[in-house]
Amino acid sequence: MIKRRDFIKWVGSAGIGLAAGGYGLGALADDKKKKKPSSGSSSGVYTNTGISGRVVVVGGGMGGATVAKYLRLWGGIGVSVTLIERDASYTSNIMSNLVLNGSRAISGLQYGYGNLSSKYGVKVVKGEVSSIDPIGRSVTVLGGVRYPYDRLVIAPGVDFDSLPGLETAAAQAAVPHAWKAGPQTTALRNMITAMPSGGLFVMSIPAKPYRCPPGPYERACIVADWLKANRPGSKVIVLDANPGITAEVNGFTNAFNVVHQGVIEYHPNVVINSVDASTLTVNTNIGNLRGNVLNLIPPHRAGKVIAANGLADAGGRWTNVDVLSYETRVAPGIHVIGDAAATTQPKAGHIANQEAKVCADAILRLLAGKPLDPAPHTNSACYSPITATTASWLTANFAYDPATASMQPVAASAGEAAARSADNYKEMGEWFTALMGDSFA
Amino acid sequence: MNHPPFMRPFMRGLMLVLAATPALAQTTVAVPPAGRLLASNCFQCHGTNGRGGLETLAGKSASEISKELMEMRAKSSPKMMDMHARAYTTAEITLIANYFATQR
Repeated sequence: MIKRRDFIKWVGSAGIGLAAGGYGLGALADDKKKKKPSSGSSSGVYTNTGISGRVVVVGGGMGGATVAKYLRLWGGIGVSVTLIERDASYTSNIMSNLVLNGSRAISGLQYGYGNLSSKYGVKVVKGEVSSIDPIGRSVTVLGGVRYPYDRLVIAPGVDFDSLPGLETAAAQAAVPHAWKAGPQTTALRNMITAMPSGGLFVMSIPAKPYRCPPGPYERACIVADWLKANRPGSKVIVLDANPGITAEVNGFTNAFNVVHQGVIEYHPNVVINSVDASTLTVNTNIGNLRGNVLNLIPPHRAGKVIAANGLADAGGRWTNVDVLSYETRVAPGIHVIGDAAATTQPKAGHIANQEAKVCADAILRLLAGKPLDPAPHTNSACYSPITATTASWLTANFAYDPATASMQPVAASAGEAAARSADNYKEMGEWFTALMGDSFA
Repeated sequence: MNHPPFMRPFMRGLMLVLAATPALAQTTVAVPPAGRLLASNCFQCHGTNGRGGLETLAGKSASEISKELMEMRAKSSPKMMDMHARAYTTAEITLIANYFATQR
């Protein structure tokens, strides 16, 4: 008499398709056998929700990593998810300003894709998109491999305009934006520490929308705080294209006028005409300014894969989407989340994470032929260091407004910290750890 | 297929079991659990499924979570979490609380 476990072993090795079907042996009455990971699946996801489909995700940042994870976590073994990302790991922009005062190292801000693959069975492909076929529904990467999809999510983050005078790689290296964390962040830190006492740090903020509304003001604070202690007599000049501070108005006005009084000099409505990278001079509507360090954050647009594939229907820069699903208006079956999408929501990692969950839920409903959730919420939250030991915060929760088909902040939920504090600074670290865990772990 | 003859009944039995297993792309598709998408707004701070983060919510009693969220709405000097509690209707709070109560 063949023993049951020998029979199962025989059936499994004959490749009868149990494993490929993703059923595992839990479908059989005897549930105690060790589950054999199925091809393309992994040890972490076993649920069979009955939903099936192929989803390709382009971009492994806050939006892309989160949507890939939740499509598997909520979709189960029938939902195949392929994540295409050109870098080996993601470097967090959140907290990267703390590299500038030496509080954090850039290496501590890197997140790999191991968990996505081992815990959730996401197929992670290191590659760069060369073309998208929205009719045939496939994505091709450089090198020619083609990935067919039922649904495509593009989460490419942002790319930057070239400021006049900063068209070459050498010029951009001399005037880094450090608004996409990585080597430029470290370079900017080195430039700051090379400043003399009585030096000038000149930074610029682009017109809205840009990623992380409080971020540039936070950077001004962190740099001013460090210079005050280490390079006395130095100043931080803030050239803002906007008519005023765009986030945490009370907190940053206090930070500029009181906390860092005499160090930060803030100018609104500034237009940059040109930049001379060899002399670190910026020509503006309020005159020429020369700095020891020039940190100019250029106007943003969606990551270039968007425009390259005819998806930049919002002013040629961003993609319009239905915020119940993040499906684009111009290409059915393609969804865009995070910074690249044009919505009423701010561009930030915390909210990209939540947009990703709304998108994942919507795609799973679409694959199953079910109606979309009619009333999703998203939320933004951000802690900003004001000094090396204190921080403030802002937050808003968004509800769907059917009249305008847009996400609108729930008034009572939107606001900023009454004051900076050490408690907020401590919470900032805890929030960051939790957020990155929800996205990458 | 080249099975020894005595295997065939086993194969038939196996096929029957497979047929009984909910197949993909058929009618019995799971619906998203009520409150899950709403509750996922909490995961960025409270961890995926409410496990970990600033404070674990998974497995807490639904009435306790509801009560705390309602208390937060009334706070006069709201901190960040108190602001979030103000975003939801009482029906949404009930859905969220019930969802976390069922997490492990």
